[in-house]
Amino acid sequence: MKKIAIPGDEISSIPKRVNGTYIDKGKTYASTITMVDSDTGHLLPLEGAWSPRLNDTVVGVVTMVKNHVYEVDLSHFGRGLIIEGKFDKLSLSVGDIVDARVRDIEDRKTVILENPRKLYGGILVSIKPAKVPRVIGKENTMVKTISSITGSRLAVGYNGTIWISGGDQSAALIAIEVIENEAHTSGLTERVRIMLEKIVKPEFKELQKQREKNERDNKTDWE
Amino acid sequence: MGSSSNKPELLKNGKRLDGRDFNELRELKIEAGILKNADGSAYLEWGNNKVLAAVYGPKEAVPKHFADPTKAVIKCRYAMAPFSSLEDHGRTGPNRRAIEISKVAKEAFENVIILNDYPGAQIDIFMEILQSDGGTRAAGITAAAVALANAGIHMRDLIYSVSVGRIGEHMAIDVNKIEDNYSDADMPVAISPRNNELLLLQMDGGLTKKQYEESMVMILEAGKKIHEVQRKALEDYYSINKKNTEQE
Amino acid sequence: MEIINTLKGEHIKELLKNNRRIDTRAFMEMRHVKVKRGVLPQAEGSAQVDLGTTKVLVGIKLMPDDPMPDTPNQGNLITSAELLPLAHPEYETGPPSSESIELARVVDRGIRAGNCIDLESLVLEDKKVWSVYIDLYILNFGGNLFDASTMAAMAALLDTKIPKYENGIVVREERVKSLKIDNIVSSTTFGKIDNYMLLDMNDNEEGMADARVTICTDGTSIRAMQKGLSGSFKPEEIGSLIDVSLNEHEKIKRILEK
Repeated sequence: MKKIAIPGDEISSIPKRVNGTYIDKGKTYASTITMVDSDTGHLLPLEGAWSPRLNDTVVGVVTMVKNHVYEVDLSHFGRGLIIEGKFDKLSLSVGDIVDARVRDIEDRKTVILENPRKLYGGILVSIKPAKVPRVIGKENTMVKTISSITGSRLAVGYNGTIWISGGDQSAALIAIEVIENEAHTSGLTERVRIMLEKIVKPEFKELQKQREKNERDNKTDWE
Repeated sequence: MGSSSNKPELLKNGKRLDGRDFNELRELKIEAGILKNADGSAYLEWGNNKVLAAVYGPKEAVPKHFADPTKAVIKCRYAMAPFSSLEDHGRTGPNRRAIEISKVAKEAFENVIILNDYPGAQIDIFMEILQSDGGTRAAGITAAAVALANAGIHMRDLIYSVSVGRIGEHMAIDVNKIEDNYSDADMPVAISPRNNELLLLQMDGGLTKKQYEESMVMILEAGKKIHEVQRKALEDYYSINKKNTEQE
Repeated sequence: MEIINTLKGEHIKELLKNNRRIDTRAFMEMRHVKVKRGVLPQAEGSAQVDLGTTKVLVGIKLMPDDPMPDTPNQGNLITSAELLPLAHPEYETGPPSSESIELARVVDRGIRAGNCIDLESLVLEDKKVWSVYIDLYILNFGGNLFDASTMAAMAALLDTKIPKYENGIVVREERVKSLKIDNIVSSTTFGKIDNYMLLDMNDNEEGMADARVTICTDGTSIRAMQKGLSGSFKPEEIGSLIDVSLNEHEKIKRILEK
């Protein structure tokens, strides 16, 4: 049985340290809107800011370059810092869009990033960080569905920023909007697939078929 | 409290003018998440009151010196629209009354928001009264609590607010404008339902201690109903009732 | 400065655990009150109240005015508060802060809800009434402005004489009668520090308070209440504080009427 818990609802009669909860007098209560699976005990916070974990992917914009340190604005979250190493010179400038991985968590507002990759062109869209896992989908199924039908490249940051480039960008954008609004519903991947099949312009489908063929022939590094 | 000289009768055949019993709330409806730009929002109708609440944040605190490196700062605005009442055009923006309400509402929210989760951040809470018919601060706070939950702001509880009035010897819950104007006492409160602690308490008029105690019993009883409406608003938004609840 | 306050705060909390307050008072004991009436003879009424180190000066002025549209047969009551910059290092000049607005409104509410002034006796002629201006001047902040201000306002009202009004002109030099006072209210403000309840907090204690509640009574009924700060009270805690307020009322009333 799945049930929505609202702030103040008792989640457990024993203390548990879980995201979206707090402990008071030995009991655990919800601090945010949370989907509770009473059979498995699984908790899924439906709202809330991103709390960084190591290796999370983020997408942001370079806002400052100073003394070999690059500051990246991570929108809903604070900032990421990329520290240039001696042997891996970066050629990033202010205004560049990058994706990168979280290497270290400095404090609640700052993360240290590694493996930055400059993203060329495209558009950025910002969604609630709580909805990001659905945009990615189980084993990347959702993001693969979107990029295969629209022909767009996507980079999805856990901070809530998504980069879309090429293909039918507006169709991909609509798909993300649908996912954000219906993130808590089931059968979403299938619904998004059906919707995209209807709205994606034929020329992009052709383009995508071509790409898929190329991909089978020699694997590319993007999803 | 209005003047005694032109005071209308507030009771008819032992009932209130709008036909309610003394412990009966006006109809209350809340819809969560109706403003796209806000991080959280709620629209509330409570009798003739119509209120829009929105939450922005957590975001970087501005101005910088306003920030607290250990916890979030809360900004709260309660304001009545100049067209909100049956009377003349009001003034735009918060007046002294509104500034006071904003202050006590802010203090109530600071009690339940887990401020330490957002060091250096600012959270804005807006309560805009679009139409007023008594009990607007209660309506504003009740709506803003839903908007805060909708924004995903970490909170210890979802608070509610309601006002109780005295009409002669009777205590009456959720007083409307005319009752508010001519009642013998008015006591708005905000309560944390998890432990029934008082987060906001104001009162004016005249109450004996016994009447105070009677009011509190009435408030806690009505509060259960208000809290259920708040819960339903959030459940509806996250469509728990839909058959296609997440299975993945 | 910050560190000094923190240490003092810890000290206050330590003392409370041993049932003591920093100035050796009992938990439900008010500081010494000194009331001086008529300190500003040019004002229609005035009073200065010292509550511990808190000093509040109240001046009352009467002005002929239009009545409020919803109360055509009553005089007006207008209360404002100034937290003067000289009263505390953190008070600044500028538009009224939410603190000063709250203070003025809570004092006003007690006096109004307590029907202290016979407002109907303030009608001068058709569509002309007296406006009673209560100005609260905070001269020194030593904690608990609410109670000191209500006392000072009440004392100043008891001191107020109505000037002569003739053919639309106020003759301030001639005072014809005293302002008619029907009821006396007293304000008692309680703080909660680590679940200890204290009456009449001083400035150091106020800095440590989690919650605060002001209860204004006339000895029989509660006339106004206002909770402040982000802490909370249980309904029954307020109930027992109401009892203390009702008890304190006689004492305060005697001081005011002296």
